[in-house]
Order: sequence, then C-alpha cells, then structure tokens
Amino acid sequence: MQSLSRQVPVGDASLSTAQSLKQLVWDLPTRIIHWLLASLILFSWWSVKNHHTDWHIWSGIAILTALIFRAFWGLFGSSTARFANFVRGPRGIRNYFRGQWKGIGHTPVGALSVIALLAAIAIQVGLGLVSQDEDGIYMGPLARLISSDASDTARDIHELWFNVVLFLIILHIAAIAYYRVSGRPLTKTMITGQGAVEPGIEPMRPGKWWVALLCLITAFALSRWVVAGAPPFGP
Amino acid sequence: MIRSVAFMFVISSALAACGGPETSQANNVQANLSNTASPAATAPPSTVTADAFSEISGEQAKSVMHERHEGMEAIGKANKSIKRELEGSAPDLVTVRTAATKIADLSQKASGWFHAGTGPDVGKTGAKPEIWRNTQDFAAKLAAFQKATAAFNSTASGSDVNAIKASFGELGQACKACHDKYRSEMHH
Repeated sequence: MQSLSRQVPVGDASLSTAQSLKQLVWDLPTRIIHWLLASLILFSWWSVKNHHTDWHIWSGIAILTALIFRAFWGLFGSSTARFANFVRGPRGIRNYFRGQWKGIGHTPVGALSVIALLAAIAIQVGLGLVSQDEDGIYMGPLARLISSDASDTARDIHELWFNVVLFLIILHIAAIAYYRVSGRPLTKTMITGQGAVEPGIEPMRPGKWWVALLCLITAFALSRWVVAGAPPFGP
Repeated sequence: MIRSVAFMFVISSALAACGGPETSQANNVQANLSNTASPAATAPPSTVTADAFSEISGEQAKSVMHERHEGMEAIGKANKSIKRELEGSAPDLVTVRTAATKIADLSQKASGWFHAGTGPDVGKTGAKPEIWRNTQDFAAKLAAFQKATAAFNSTASGSDVNAIKASFGELGQACKACHDKYRSEMHH
C-alpha cells in the first residue's frame, strides 16, 4: 500500500472536483414543477393586484395541482425528488455545517427551505380555497364549507400570509445569489438538470415515466374534486 | 408525458377565461339625492346629478363617510349571502330576494355618498381622489350600478334561477367596474 504513488491535490483544487462529472441531478418533472410554481405565484400576485380575481382563483387551483403532483412525486419519484431522501434531522444539519455532508440534490439546509416553501404555499392555497372576496362576487371553490364570516377571515389571513411566502422566496433567491458568488450556478442546474456529481456519490435514480403519469392523473383528479366544491360536491 | 403536464396546465388556465359579460352603461336612471340642501335645478334630470358631488365638510362629511362605509359593507354582506345561495344546488330564493331588495335600496342611497370633501385627505377611506376628477364617468358607473340593482331585484322576485344568476353576474360586473377604478386598497 505504502509503495503506491499517490496523486496529491494542488492548491484549492481537490482531486474529486477535478474528476466530477456532469450528470442529471434534477429530473424533468421536478424542474417543471419548480418553474411552474414560480410562474404561477408571480401570475397570482399580478392578477389579484390588477383586479383579475377570476384568473387569480384559477391560478391558485393550478398551484394546487402542481403541489399535489409534487407531493406524490416526493414519495414515488426520482431519488433526488423524494422527501425521505432529502429531509434530515438536526444531526444531519449539524453534520452539514461541519462540512461532513456529501451528496447530490438538496443539502440538509436547502431541504428545510424546500419544505418551508412548499408548506407555506400549501397553506396559502388552502386559505384561498375557502376565501371569498369582500364584495361577494368571487368565492374560492371550498368557501361554502365554512361560514361567510370565516371566509372573510380566511381572506384577511390569505393577504397576510403572502408576506410569509414572499419572505421565504426572498430567502431562497438570496441563498441562490450567495451560491452563485461562490461559483455554483444553481439556477442553471435547475434549468438543465445537469449538476456536478463527485465520484463515489450515488447518482440520481430516475423515477418511472408511468409513475409520473399516475401522479399527474391523481393531481388533476383531486383538483377537479376541489373545484367541484369537495365532499360530495358541496357542503 | 412532460408535454402533457404543460399542456394540461395550459388547459386549466384557459378554463379561467369564464368571466361574466361587461355590463353596458346605464342611462336614464333617476337618482335620489339625499344629504344635500341645495336644489339641483340645472342638473340633468335623468342621471346622478352634479349635485351629488357638491362640497361638504366637517361633521357632515364625517357622517357621509361613515354612512358610505357602513352602506358598502352592508351591500357586500348582502351580496355574499346571495352568492352563497346561488352557488348551491338548491338556492333559498327568500334569502336572495330579501338581500336583493336591501341592495337595491342601499344603491339608491349611494347617490349621496360621494360628495366632494369625503376623500382620503379627510379621513380613512377607500374612495380614490379620482372620483372627484372624473365625476361624469363616476356618475355614469354609479347610475349603471343602480340600474343593475333594480334589474336584479326585479329578476329575483321571479323564480327563474338561471335568470337570477345571470342578473347577479351583471350586478357583480357593475360593482367591479367602479371598484377597479375608484377604490383603493385603503378600505376595511
């Protein structure tokens, strides 16, 4: 063993980075959902600010569909999309800060951001579904499940909760800007799906296309049920 | 497969384009002017008169602003109760008719809710200063609203649920036409 010659990294360049390969780390469904959510949230904000409340409601329903798909894809999708693979406990986060984390996909701290964003958006959609506008012209599809006063309160919270969503989005973008400065273009990876994978790291196990199709069908079916007014189509 | 994801989202957003028709501008609506003492002899008789925008101040202004706020809130509440009935499979038309009459009555009172001197510079209100810069347009929209409430009240006295829904949709558009242009987010 000792007699074998060993290559020694020079300067900052580690051997493993030099040999890392571009591989698929985000599958297509995950990337589509990401950019779809970004666009729909922007559109939801724009439409309600410009008095297109009907578009705003449909945009929210589209977000609901995307969230349901993402939830199922997080259970049955590609390895980097699965919650069980990227959500880690406090010890995993501590190890990450000590530089002991290696892998592809979300880092343990990035995972917290993902979960917080998805949860905040889900809460926002849920509030919107039971809200009504203050003029009695528009109602979320599930508003009749609760009282008129409760729907008004839901709308008030829906307006306030947007600030929470906005805060998380700003944090998310700030983190990406930080990584960019450090030389890691995360945005490009989220567009092409290709990221650097170090040798010895298990590559992404891609999900099955027919599983994605089943997740999609389920997402549309559940959204359709919500649009109909839920339980047996109404209160 | 992925194409179909994008495609179906396009469909779902296309479904969004199912808003109601824009209501036509109303004309020849008699508006009762309360709250003002001066006779409006020169004003045209068949619309919300210029006198509706005569200047008031002090306690009178405060009182009009309060009445406007309460009145608009009451209209909103009545509208919501109608909306909730009409969204259901078996609307209670008694509830709808009671609310429709209330809205029609309040809409007539609205002619006295927009005197000059009741804008955001005087107190907290969602009424934009644009109201008093475009009184002609505003008066036309207010008259259209009053026409829509009367039409809806009349349709609601019948039992044709589809006609009631259509008429309610037109009333909503009349509310929205004014609110989109002349109401700020500084209300509640």
